[in-house]
Amino acid sequence: MNITDHLLGALSQYGLPVLFGVIAIATVGIPLPISMMLVAAGSFVELGEMKLWQVIVVASAGAVLGDQIGYALGRWGGHRVVARIKRRRNGAAKIAQAEAFAKRWGAAGIFFTRWLITPLGPWLNLTSGMARYPWTRFFLWDLLGEVLWVVLYVMLGKIFSDRVQALVEILGNLAWVIVGLIAAVILGWKVLKYLQPGDSVKGRKIAT
Amino acid sequence: MTHNGRQKWIVVVAFTLVVLATGVFAVRTVRRAIYWRLHRDEVIRPWMSIPYVAHSYRLPPPVLYQSLGIPPQPHDRRPLRQIASEQNRSVDELISVLNDAIARERAAHPPNPRPSAPARSL
Repeated sequence: MNITDHLLGALSQYGLPVLFGVIAIATVGIPLPISMMLVAAGSFVELGEMKLWQVIVVASAGAVLGDQIGYALGRWGGHRVVARIKRRRNGAAKIAQAEAFAKRWGAAGIFFTRWLITPLGPWLNLTSGMARYPWTRFFLWDLLGEVLWVVLYVMLGKIFSDRVQALVEILGNLAWVIVGLIAAVILGWKVLKYLQPGDSVKGRKIAT
Repeated sequence: MTHNGRQKWIVVVAFTLVVLATGVFAVRTVRRAIYWRLHRDEVIRPWMSIPYVAHSYRLPPPVLYQSLGIPPQPHDRRPLRQIASEQNRSVDELISVLNDAIARERAAHPPNPRPSAPARSL
């Protein structure tokens, strides 16, 4: 028996407290099968063992709590890392650049890593905290994205309630395809710039 | 210059690796989707409850309870691993009993063939 079997067995038996705890821990950055938990919860809703609104409220609350912990770790625990980077050559400029990037793209980054490119979520919580992205804005975009993620996965689990394992495998692969496509577009853009004749200076600066 | 040249190569290599990895995941996604379309049944796992297995295999739960020699229970949320431990047997053995019961029930009452998934000869 693997960890997924143990966690899903506990979810089936004890319900909402397990859902809350596992999602909160996983969103901090501990890799646990939370997509499977949500889809299975949707299936249990369909079977009449759990209530839809309770699942959505509890799972969203767990996810938002875990994200706030990740943000706080970055903000108050990350200062040592930030201080070390600042001491390096051009370190202060790089931190300023990262902060500017987080402020400019933060909202979209936070929102889309909650439900569309979920593998990057815990990482973005930390970096948002380290870049001192405004907490109220972080919280609002986080809440919006997490509720969307929970509703999406729970409803998929409810609709395809008889085949949750197969569904989660497809969704898991699909999430990495989306991450890969985004990375490929960003890197492909840089490669294109390098290939332009006589334009190598422009392409040298890497924004991130 | 050397530094910039190296940086370019790193970006090109990273781009190639990302494209390859994305391709692998895309193929896996499509393969899983095709498999999903042709095979409706879930592999029975220790976390599943009897009502879930019955729902997944579209069978009445009493058939499965009967095969395990326990009375049907409403809102039974026990995972199979707990039922196995209550019956002092391994979860693999319990799953095997359930698979046999499903096979027997389907032989006795064959499900309607799905028009979208034609049978293939090997």
